[in-house]
Amino acid sequence: MISSYFMKMGFGILALTILISVGLTEDFDDMSIYHLPSKWENQDGKEVVLSELKGNVLVVVMIYTSCQAACPILIGEMKSLEAQIREKSSGDVKYILVSIDPEQDTPERLKKLSQENKMSGDRWLFLRGTIESTRDFANLLAVKYTKISPVDFSHSNIISVFDKKGVLIHQQEGLRVDNKATIDKILELVE
Amino acid sequence: MRMLGALFVILFSVGFKGYAVAELVEIEGGSYLPSYGLKTGSQVDVESFYIDRTPVTNREFLEFVRDNQEWQRTNVKGIFAEKSYLQHWTSDLEILQGQEDFPVINVSWFAAKAYCKSKGLRLPKLNEWEMVAMASHDKKDAREDPEFTKFILSSYEKPKTYLKKVRLEEPNMYGVYDIHGMVWEWVEDFNSVIISGESRKEGDDGLFCAAGSVGASDLSNYAFFMRYAFRASLKANYTIKNLGFRCAK
Amino acid sequence: MQTKIAFLLVLLLSGCNYSPDKNTKSHPRNDLIKTEGEMVAELTAPPNVPAPVGNRPAKKLKVELEIVERESELSDGVKYIFWTFGGSVPGSFIRGRVGDEVEFTLENHPDNKLPHNIDLHAVTGQGGGAEASFVAPGHKKTFTFKLINPGLYVYHCATAPVGMHIANGMYGLILVEPEGGLPPVDREYYVMQGDFYTKGNYGDPGLQPFDMQKAIAEHADYVVFNGKVGALTGDKALTAKVGETVRLFVGNGGPNIVSSFHVIGEVFDKVYVEGGDLINENIQTTLIPAGGAAIVDFRVEVPSTLILVDHSIFRAFNKGALGMLKVSGDRNDKVFSGEVLSGIYRPEGNVIQEISPSEPKPVRAVALSKAEKIKLGQQIYDRSCFACHQPDGQGLPNAFPPLAKADYLNEDVDRAIAAVIRGLSGEITVNGKKYHSVMPAQVLTDEETASVLTYIYNSWGNNGTEVTPEMVSKIRNSK
Repeated sequence: MISSYFMKMGFGILALTILISVGLTEDFDDMSIYHLPSKWENQDGKEVVLSELKGNVLVVVMIYTSCQAACPILIGEMKSLEAQIREKSSGDVKYILVSIDPEQDTPERLKKLSQENKMSGDRWLFLRGTIESTRDFANLLAVKYTKISPVDFSHSNIISVFDKKGVLIHQQEGLRVDNKATIDKILELVE
Repeated sequence: MRMLGALFVILFSVGFKGYAVAELVEIEGGSYLPSYGLKTGSQVDVESFYIDRTPVTNREFLEFVRDNQEWQRTNVKGIFAEKSYLQHWTSDLEILQGQEDFPVINVSWFAAKAYCKSKGLRLPKLNEWEMVAMASHDKKDAREDPEFTKFILSSYEKPKTYLKKVRLEEPNMYGVYDIHGMVWEWVEDFNSVIISGESRKEGDDGLFCAAGSVGASDLSNYAFFMRYAFRASLKANYTIKNLGFRCAK
Repeated sequence: MQTKIAFLLVLLLSGCNYSPDKNTKSHPRNDLIKTEGEMVAELTAPPNVPAPVGNRPAKKLKVELEIVERESELSDGVKYIFWTFGGSVPGSFIRGRVGDEVEFTLENHPDNKLPHNIDLHAVTGQGGGAEASFVAPGHKKTFTFKLINPGLYVYHCATAPVGMHIANGMYGLILVEPEGGLPPVDREYYVMQGDFYTKGNYGDPGLQPFDMQKAIAEHADYVVFNGKVGALTGDKALTAKVGETVRLFVGNGGPNIVSSFHVIGEVFDKVYVEGGDLINENIQTTLIPAGGAAIVDFRVEVPSTLILVDHSIFRAFNKGALGMLKVSGDRNDKVFSGEVLSGIYRPEGNVIQEISPSEPKPVRAVALSKAEKIKLGQQIYDRSCFACHQPDGQGLPNAFPPLAKADYLNEDVDRAIAAVIRGLSGEITVNGKKYHSVMPAQVLTDEETASVLTYIYNSWGNNGTEVTPEMVSKIRNSK
């Protein structure tokens, strides 16, 4: 409780560091992504702390809004996963698209992307962090990216699945690959 | 001489209880053609920055973990550092005697980053680090110097070069020590090196084939490609025996 | 019109010749073979190979291969830092059968400095596994693949700079046996050629770093079997008994040089060309491309020492590409009488040639002691002399005269010095037997000549003469 209050007040990493050291934070799994002390903005401009997502299975991909090549395919893949999972389970799954380009991708642009692709509702989350928190986050996912022009990035195409404790369980690498293993894993984790 | 005059050294004291004094040197910004950009000919622009004269030592890192318990061996989270984190130390707060001034190794990217942050610094960017690494003791860009390149390549084959005090060898012309011949070093954007799943143009030929596509005249490419491959093989929580870091600002 | 008809005719004719068996048979769907149970793969260091698969069903096959960067000898007195799969050059031999599902774990030792990976030519899939297995020091990676195509395949590291990783010894062989296994033989061995590039020249002692410039120019200092000059000679020679069938799994890691693989004194009964299904018979020399392999089978009929060479022959006698297979047993005079000079290759012809035109190196200031000469002399002997005169100086009957207890040698030291520095041709008599061979002039310094002769004179029952550089110099200047 106290820790999330501080973060919302904008003390950010420093405050959390102190809090960890005095043992006030929740005891997450050793490999939980929720240890990452960063705050994010969603497509509605609201602040999101990652650990608020605890209890959900997370399906995560990193994209950017001005991306022409791979991202539309990744977005299509996320929609396909969501549709197939929805048919089979009503469990708590969040589909999260994290921007690689926090400088350009304002909440407005993320919102537009979500509307254009009909990805609205509680299950869909579009997140934007800072340059630093984006790199931290990408590194937890082993996602590689580099800016190749003012508006373009090269990046790995990875869809990651986290369990309810925030531990990375499964990754689907590449474009247009068979997603059966990913679906099976999500269904298993959501039970 | 003009270059040397343009450089100056500052002592950067963060006043961290008075003992942590990191010594940084200013590197004048500029443009250079990186080894990976030879095909495209695209320059890299680097703004002026400061960089540590030496890799961070065991002694310096010990002070950091003493003050930041979450970075002690028993407390660190697996997601931020693997089990082999600081495994060359005898306990949470004890260094093997005689190794105090050896470069710290077995540190993850997250740990290295937190260390620099605690000093008001950051990790150097890949392009910054590579720019400093181009310099020999008398040339700003010694990549065409076969002796310099041979020294680097042979150090990549030599085992256990991390078991050595920092600052014993001659510095390069910036006054930076041990950037070659000691440890691999973390850079802030190590994950900008892409090896697979790439969506556009060059793709993964960068890692597996590009070494073959460059001219035979520039041997330094080989040293660069070895660093490139090394960075590409890393994950941010990896801790490795030959991998240390230095900070920048 | 005329040409059209002719064309049709050709088509029809070739249609008749078409062999449905050979050319229209669809490739078997080995990817559909089901596996039964699992096993841990036996891995072996060269020259040994794991046990044949025999009749076992396809299984899940677990392979654990450790990458070790280590210093070892490239030649006697010459050290080199090798990067290895499994600690040896070539790397561990892997053996499976079609249909096996391999669970491959690649481990990068924590003391290693570099990331590595593996590209197995037997793998159907991205990069032969190169990306999936890319691993940092102190870490391991696991990936799986199914063995679909039978044959003998090279594996190698494919991390940038690829050429350097291969040049430092990162290659080996994986054998995929067909259903039911290869036809059984009495002995199987693993031999793999590779070329090395060092800062110093061939034979320069001490730790020799890799020379990228020479590698790019493809100027190899060493071309060797199984990672070292002499890895398959003397007491490390391969062995067989008369009447046995021998199978060699021969690979070529490169990085640059293509091998003309030949066994002096033997004909290959069968060659699995390029390691595949095609079998050619009665072959003298088979070409093994860099990154390729071949299986050769032959029966050994008579006792002899067979010499394995790259028949691009200077590599064999001057760069190390030479091994031995010692066949013991009873003579069979019908096959080989022992009286005809046969099966010995004489690359130098009948004119004496210098091995290299370069100037002799300067003499060092301090003279060597007798013991030092013997030590240095032995190294020189092992790389320059033993191929003909044999490890114990016994020579080869009718071809190369003995040095052990040799009257020709012990009678006249000046004559011996002249033979080394100028070469020797024409008939000579040693211990009552006539020889009619050619010995090429050796390009050695006075000190090296003195050392190798001192070693010879102080070995194998010879008279113990100590030769000095001055004695050599005197002969050299006395034309």
